[in-house]
Amino acid sequence: MAGSNNESAHDSTMHQPNKSFQRALGWIVPAAAAIFLLVLFPPFHVVRRSGPGAASSGSSVASSVFEPVAFVEKFWTEQLLPAARRAPELAPILADLRRDPAAASKAHARRVGVGTTAYYFARGSGRVTAVARSRLLVEIDGAAGATVALRTGPVFGNAVRDGSGLLDLNNVPGLAEFNALSAELNRKVEESVLPSLRGASVAVGARITFAGCAEAPESVGDGPLLVIVPVKAEVGS
Amino acid sequence: MVACGKLLIALNPSAASASCLSDKSASAKGVSVDPQLEHHDSSPMRTPRYLRLSTCVALFASLLLGACKPAGETATPAGPGAAAGAKSRRVAVVVSTLNNPWFVVLAETARNRARELGYEATIFDSQNDPSKESTHFDNLIASGYGAVLFNCTDAEGSIANVRRATARGIGVFCMDREIKANDAATSQILSDNYSGAVAIGEHFVEKVGESGTYAELLGLVADTNTWNRSKGFHSVVDRFPDLKMVAQQSADFDRTRAMEVLETILQAHPDIDAVFCGNDAMAMGAYQALLAARKADQVEVFGFDGADDVVRAIAEGKITATAMQFPKIMAITAAENADKFLEGERNFPQRVPVTVELVTQENVHKFGDHGRKQ
Repeated sequence: MAGSNNESAHDSTMHQPNKSFQRALGWIVPAAAAIFLLVLFPPFHVVRRSGPGAASSGSSVASSVFEPVAFVEKFWTEQLLPAARRAPELAPILADLRRDPAAASKAHARRVGVGTTAYYFARGSGRVTAVARSRLLVEIDGAAGATVALRTGPVFGNAVRDGSGLLDLNNVPGLAEFNALSAELNRKVEESVLPSLRGASVAVGARITFAGCAEAPESVGDGPLLVIVPVKAEVGS
Repeated sequence: MVACGKLLIALNPSAASASCLSDKSASAKGVSVDPQLEHHDSSPMRTPRYLRLSTCVALFASLLLGACKPAGETATPAGPGAAAGAKSRRVAVVVSTLNNPWFVVLAETARNRARELGYEATIFDSQNDPSKESTHFDNLIASGYGAVLFNCTDAEGSIANVRRATARGIGVFCMDREIKANDAATSQILSDNYSGAVAIGEHFVEKVGESGTYAELLGLVADTNTWNRSKGFHSVVDRFPDLKMVAQQSADFDRTRAMEVLETILQAHPDIDAVFCGNDAMAMGAYQALLAARKADQVEVFGFDGADDVVRAIAEGKITATAMQFPKIMAITAAENADKFLEGERNFPQRVPVTVELVTQENVHKFGDHGRKQ
């Protein structure tokens, strides 16, 4: 027994450095593993308030600053005016509209989202037959006497935004911004297009070439078939 | 800003217990351990002890930390990998309030359409309380719902609820009210309140004229639609400087409150020409106040919503106009999209606007039952 105890004590002395190492290893291994895992799977994340991951601010699109004025300036020159030059002729649309407004709407008008509201985007020319306070009545060339009204007063609604078919709600941060686009487009029409239609040269008999957007009517009567918001207009003699 | 991902500890009992129970099982079997040797264990038999301890710690840490996903991943809307909700046959309808009949129509139509499509559908009423809404989301996530037809209480505050649900594979389809994020909900079917109010504003100028005085009754001031409607309306009428707003006051979208508020306004401004109300319940209350003051024939009343009683009142010449919001179309579209989602479809437009249409005395015959007559 005594020999056995001596042997044990000897073993203990022999293994002292080894024991310290093992004891240290007992802490180091789990600590290293924990650190490794903490790095691999951090329990929390530091994110920028306006960054893509910020739950309160929504998506990166929603959190970015949307500038309707700058957007509309670019859209107007780079997309809308080129599209206006290529827009469908108005006369055939008016012929269809006279026959069957619902069928004409289905064939020629654009819808945004769910609902019955639809818009035409077309170009045409004609002769002014009446000048009213906020509109001009124009008899369209080649449309068998059909008339339209060109808006010359304050512009409201979404005809320009939705009529061209070039703008999508999902390309802007949200509905508020989409509506801001509409208001800015209307302001742009009032600023850039309507002054040319309010001048002294615009009288009964004047010739007008234009392109614009109009809400599709559910039915048509004896008056103008469409009320068009012009995005481009030239007055001749 | 520190955002802590929700800790979802998905313990794997078999793995964790297998290594940790070895000590317990040793004691249970009556194996005694010399306390001295616990601190000086150098024998080959005792070496695995700290290794086992290390393994336990590391395993537990990995289980614990592995459950914490990066914030970006938790925000991912239901994608191909998030298919847990897609196997469910349960659909939740979470609605901001059931105190307003318009929202009752929205919620019940959504629930009924989901049931027609073969789902177990339940309505959760948030009572205009974001904390109640959050609790509803906790419950429906835990209860294994596959889709949520959602009318939010807060355009920004509700985003976190939607993200929690979509991260678990649950499809969330917003109805009527927008949440201000493009990457949270599966899809949003939205009523374009601003554009509807623009149409009301144009009709207002047509009926009242370009000069006169009017009052505006606002809805809940914290509600985004209150301001969308007010801004849309003012974007038109403010262009006519001789149209003067003599009073603007909140009546909380409530009929009785609107009656009381307009009674007070009429005492100060007895000669107003018109009242614009942010919803139809307030329009009915305003009409009652005008009736009591014997001014119902002199003052034009404009509402918003397309509620049945107001559509009838327009037909009877009592109210001038409202804006029809089509709650049934929104609810049915949302329920049918949820059905497609649960069948595996993942390609939905983020936002779908639903047109708001002007209802006047000229076209009122085309409307009824919260929409267009069939």
